[in-house]
Amino acid sequence: MLKSANMKPIISVRGLRKVYGDKVVVRDVSFEVRAGEIFGILGPNGAGKTTLMEMMEAMRPIDGGQVILAGLDVAKKPRKIKQIIGVQLQSSEFYNKVTLAESLTMFASFYGQKVNPRQLLGEVELSEKADSYPEKLSGGQKQRFSIAAALVNNPRVLFLDEPTTGLDPQARRHLWELIEKIRQRGITVILTSHYMEEAERLCDRLAIMDNGRIIALDSPANLIKKLLAKGFHKKQVREQADLEDVYIDLTGKALRE
Amino acid sequence: MKAIFVYSLTMLKRFLRDPIYLFFVFAFPLIFLFIFGTIFGNSSDVNFNLALINHADNDFTTSFIEKFSGGDNQTFEIDREITDLEVAKEKMSRGEIDSIIELPESFGEVSESCQTKAATPADCLPSGEMKVFYDEGSPQAGQTISIIMSGILDEMNVAVTGTTPRFKVDQVSTGAAGLSQFDYTFAGLFSYVLMTMGIYTLSQQLPSEKKTGTLRRIKATPFRPWQLLVGLSLVYLFLTIISAALMIAIGVLMFDFQMRGSWLTLSIFSIISTLTMIGFGAIVAGAAKNENQATMASQLIAFPMMFLSGVFFPRFLMPDWLQNATSWIPLTPVGDGVRYITTEGAGLIDILPQLGLVAVWGVVAYVVAFKVFRWE
Repeated sequence: MLKSANMKPIISVRGLRKVYGDKVVVRDVSFEVRAGEIFGILGPNGAGKTTLMEMMEAMRPIDGGQVILAGLDVAKKPRKIKQIIGVQLQSSEFYNKVTLAESLTMFASFYGQKVNPRQLLGEVELSEKADSYPEKLSGGQKQRFSIAAALVNNPRVLFLDEPTTGLDPQARRHLWELIEKIRQRGITVILTSHYMEEAERLCDRLAIMDNGRIIALDSPANLIKKLLAKGFHKKQVREQADLEDVYIDLTGKALRE
Repeated sequence: MKAIFVYSLTMLKRFLRDPIYLFFVFAFPLIFLFIFGTIFGNSSDVNFNLALINHADNDFTTSFIEKFSGGDNQTFEIDREITDLEVAKEKMSRGEIDSIIELPESFGEVSESCQTKAATPADCLPSGEMKVFYDEGSPQAGQTISIIMSGILDEMNVAVTGTTPRFKVDQVSTGAAGLSQFDYTFAGLFSYVLMTMGIYTLSQQLPSEKKTGTLRRIKATPFRPWQLLVGLSLVYLFLTIISAALMIAIGVLMFDFQMRGSWLTLSIFSIISTLTMIGFGAIVAGAAKNENQATMASQLIAFPMMFLSGVFFPRFLMPDWLQNATSWIPLTPVGDGVRYITTEGAGLIDILPQLGLVAVWGVVAYVVAFKVFRWE
C-alpha cells in the first residue's frame, strides 16, 4: 500500500445532512479525506453512501452542513467543483451509437478541454474498442470506460460509486490495479464498495456507514486491531487460502472479455 | 459555445447511425403529404361530377351538349354511364355525383304555338327549360352548375335571337391565378410538419435519457441545461430542415406545387418557426420525468394548435371570439406566414407581424424551458 498520502485534507465534510420527507438519509456526517489517498465508504444498502457521495459531487442539494473540496464550498460553487472532480455514477449510462472515442471527446468539451481519446482509452486498456459503441462492452469494460470518462478533465478527486459491483473476480482485480495506478498519478480517490477484500486491499482509510451515520473511521489495519482489542475471536482458524484464491488459481488472472 | 457544437455534432452522428429512427422521422410528414396530395392534387381539374339525363332528341340539344361538355372545360365532368334519373338521384345521395342536369323531351323543340296563326317570330324559335338537381347538403354545387348553365344558355339565346344583351356580368377571379387547392393545403401541411418535428421528437428523446441515466452522467459535468437544450435544438433544426426540403421536393415533383414567394424567405421564416416549436418541445422534454408524461403533454400542446391555428381548418369558420383567441397561439402566425409566402409571394417585411409573434413565442418557450428543466 502506498503510504505517500499527504496529510493535508483535500475534502472536509462538516455536519452534512440530507432529509427526504421525514426520513433523514445522511445525519450530521463529518470527516476529512487526505490528498492522494484512496478513501473507502462502506455500509449496507440504504446506509446513505450514494447520497453522501452525490452531495460531495454537487449532484444533490445539501440540506445541512458543509463540504469544502480543494478550498471551495460545494454548495456555493457547484460548477467549479464539477470542473475539478471526476465522477463515476452507479446508475448512469453513456450514449448508445456514439463511439468511445467520440464520447470522450464530447465529455472533454463539457470541461472546455481537449483530450486524446485514444491515449486515454489506452490507459484503461480499451485502445482496441475506441471505435465501438458502449452497448457492445462487457461489464468490466464498461466500468473501465466510465473511469476513463471521469478522467477527461484530469480531475483532482475521483469519485467511484461501487465500481466493481457485478464484475467477475478477474475484472475486479484488473480494476483494482487501475485504481491504484490512478492514485499514483496523485489523484485522490473516494469509492464505495460492498466487498471487504477490496476495501482492505485498496483503501488507505475507511468510513463505515449505517443509518446515515459514520460509525467507524480508520485504516483497515487499525479497524481490525480495534476489533481484536475488544477480545474478538473468529471461531474458525483462518485458512492460508480461501475459495477465491482457489478460483483465481484455477481460472487465472487474465481478463475474459 | 464549443461544447454546444461538439454535443450537437455527436448527437447528430448518433441519429444518422439509426436509420430506422430516421426513416420514421422523415416518413411521417411524407405520408401526410401523399395523403393530402392525392386528395387535393387533382382538384383543380374537376370540381364537380355531373349526371346528364337527356330525354330530348334534336339537333339543338346535341349541339348544346357538345357546347358545355366538350373543349377544355374543367369545372365539371359528366358521368356518361348514368342515363336514368332515379339511379342518378341515388348516386347523388351517396355523394358520388354533385348534381344532375335533366333535359326534358321538349327541350330545344319549337313550341306548338308556332303552328297557330297568331304566332310571332319568337314563337317559332327553339325553347326549353332544363332542371338542375342538387343535394340539400351541398347547395353550392347546384348553384354553381345553375350559374354555368345560365351562362351557356344566355350565349345560345343570343345566337338564336340574334340580339345582343345590353347588360352583362363579367366574372373576374381574384385568387392568385394558377394556384391549386393543393398549394393552399401544402402551406398548412408544411407548417404542421414544422410543429410536429419540433414538439414531438425532442420531447420524447430527453425523458428516455432521464430513464437510462445518460443525462445524469452529463449532470455530473459543468455542462449546463441551456447548453444541452440549445445543442439539441440545433440537431432537431437540422433534421427538420432535411424533412422540410424532402417535403418541398416531393410536393414540386409529384404534386406540381406552385411556389409564389422566394425560397430564401421561406427558409428564414421556417428556421425561426422551427426553433420556436422546438422550444415548446424543450419545455415538455425538460419538465417531464418520463416518456408517458412527455407523450401526454406534447399531445396536449400540439392537438389544440393543430385544430385551432388554421393550418388544416380555416379560422374564418370559427366564431369571432375564437378567431381572436386563436390568432395568438404559436402555430397561427407560422401557418399564416408560410401561406402568405408560398401562395401570395409575401416577403419578410409583409409578414413582419407573423415573424414578430413567432419570435416572441420562441423567446418565451426557451425561457420557460430553461426554468423547468430537470436532469432526472
